Amino acid sequence: MVPDTADGGKASVALGVDGLLHLRWSPGVDIEVEDARAAMAKVNELCQQEQHPMLVDMATVASVSREARGIWSIPCGASRIALLGTSPVDRVLANFFLGVHIPPCPTRFFTSRSEALDWLNSGA
Amino acid sequence: MTSTESVEDPRLQQLVDGVVRLAAGDLDARIKPSEHRDDIDAVITGVNLLAEELGHIHSELEQRVAARTAMLRRTQVELEQMAKTDALTGLANRTLLTERIQEAILSCTDGGRAPAVLLLDLDSFKAVNDILGHSAGDAVLVEVAKRLRSAVRPQDTVARLGGDEFAILITAATEEEIIRIAHRASEYLQDSMCIGIETVWAMASIGVCVGKPGYRAEALMRDADIAMYQAKARGRNNVQLFHPEMLDAVQERSRITAELRTAVAGGELALLYQPVVELASGRVIGIEALLRWHHPVRGTIMPGSFIGIAEETGLIFELGRWVLHEGLAQMARWSQTDPDLTDFCLHINLSAAELLRTDLLEDISDTLATYGVDPRRLVLEITETVLMSRGTGQEQVLSRLRELGVGLQIDDFGTGYSSISYLRSLPADTVKVDQSLIKDMESDPRQQNFVSAILQLIFAAGLNATVEGIETAEQAAQLRAMGCLYGQGYFFGYPVPAAEIPSQLRQPARHL
Repeated sequence: MVPDTADGGKASVALGVDGLLHLRWSPGVDIEVEDARAAMAKVNELCQQEQHPMLVDMATVASVSREARGIWSIPCGASRIALLGTSPVDRVLANFFLGVHIPPCPTRFFTSRSEALDWLNSGA
Repeated sequence: MTSTESVEDPRLQQLVDGVVRLAAGDLDARIKPSEHRDDIDAVITGVNLLAEELGHIHSELEQRVAARTAMLRRTQVELEQMAKTDALTGLANRTLLTERIQEAILSCTDGGRAPAVLLLDLDSFKAVNDILGHSAGDAVLVEVAKRLRSAVRPQDTVARLGGDEFAILITAATEEEIIRIAHRASEYLQDSMCIGIETVWAMASIGVCVGKPGYRAEALMRDADIAMYQAKARGRNNVQLFHPEMLDAVQERSRITAELRTAVAGGELALLYQPVVELASGRVIGIEALLRWHHPVRGTIMPGSFIGIAEETGLIFELGRWVLHEGLAQMARWSQTDPDLTDFCLHINLSAAELLRTDLLEDISDTLATYGVDPRRLVLEITETVLMSRGTGQEQVLSRLRELGVGLQIDDFGTGYSSISYLRSLPADTVKVDQSLIKDMESDPRQQNFVSAILQLIFAAGLNATVEGIETAEQAAQLRAMGCLYGQGYFFGYPVPAAEIPSQLRQPARHL
């Protein structure tokens, strides 16, 4: 597995040698549908038909629009998704995503990076 | 966080303001969270997200309501369309036609032309249905609808009112255009149509009513209907334009019908008697009873003005019964008051409809018995069309009457479609030749020859002839010379009340 990244827009996506996808949203962004779509395209591009667990770093995201949340209901290269946040705002955003939409793969919110990684790896 | 800090945090006030705006229905209201991303920002974010969800649900609901409303409206339009359309032909039905007439009447009040209505009734549709079946009948109706559509302008309405009755509403047209459309519709129906392997014709009697300002929809339909019945009466398959006199005639007929119902009970009917004479001797051999209606207001009404109505309404049964009873009662009275009078016969006219009266035979034989009149002294005069088109039931009645001894005479010979061959098979003794045949006999030798030929024909069939309408001695002499045995007419005597008959009978025979 070759580490790979795809940068641009409001997010960056990297596929590590450990086979872990890492999606980082830029600090303070308002995620719109186009941003979500672009991020998903990058994920799919890196995965190339394979599936990988994905860590989504959303600690500094300002807002996620309804339509943007809807994009993540579409199956993509991620086999399971760990949403990583730190603040109560992150928790609210993540739970709106989890509650209102049905994720296409196992998805959970974490405030601890290590717990998130453990969970992702446990499903590998 | 203490309560003092809460009060001092401006985000809480922004949160309250945001919630108030949302509560007021402004679902686009959003509260800006701070950089702190603390619990208050989490609440702000949650409120924003909930507002977004609420806005989404609201707009989705609105879209659904709009879609459902549009669907309901479409369905309503379809239902209205169905309720106003004839399912078989796709034409407008009576409801839609009436609506369109109302609309046309309203729009003409702004100075436009009043609408016109054409009513069409197919002339022989029942036969198509009876002989070829209802599916063939339906096919004919569909074809008629198609032809009528092609005969009108795009703005006109063709409707099927039910059965084989159609109507056309013509708007904003001159009388000439209206008549032209009516004739075009009639013309398009002249061609035969192929229904399966059968060829049928579906011509129509068409009544046209051209509206005028103030004409109501019901009046338009009624008057077009009256005109249509005129078209039927005038031989069918033609176009008749409504004239007010037609309505007068209809009203007159309905007035006569109402008054005729009370005429019998009110004692307004009377019989006059006219002698039937043996031409050779001048002897009165019969007396024809002729019905008169002495109307309290309109004076004496001749049977030609009310017998047709009586036949249509069934009142003819009551009239026929009255004539029979009164005529035979008079025979009995003459026997008592003038026993010396010779055994002349009583001639009574019998309507075609009366032959279908179930108690006719019984009534005749009972009445003869009641008044003690010999059946051989009663002669029933029946029009030749009845005898020609008689059905099995009528045939039986006629033979039973003959068995009873009652004489039968063919009336009005020469006015219908007389057939030579049927003369021999008629269940009658005498033929009464219509007066129209001898009208120009004195001056026209060809007519003389014609009458002579007819008489010869009657004799050849083994029947006797009575010629009616004899007004002059010359006519009587000519007929006698031709071998005619009996005659009737003003020359021998006008129709007179019963009281005058004995003296007429006692007068010396009028020799020629």
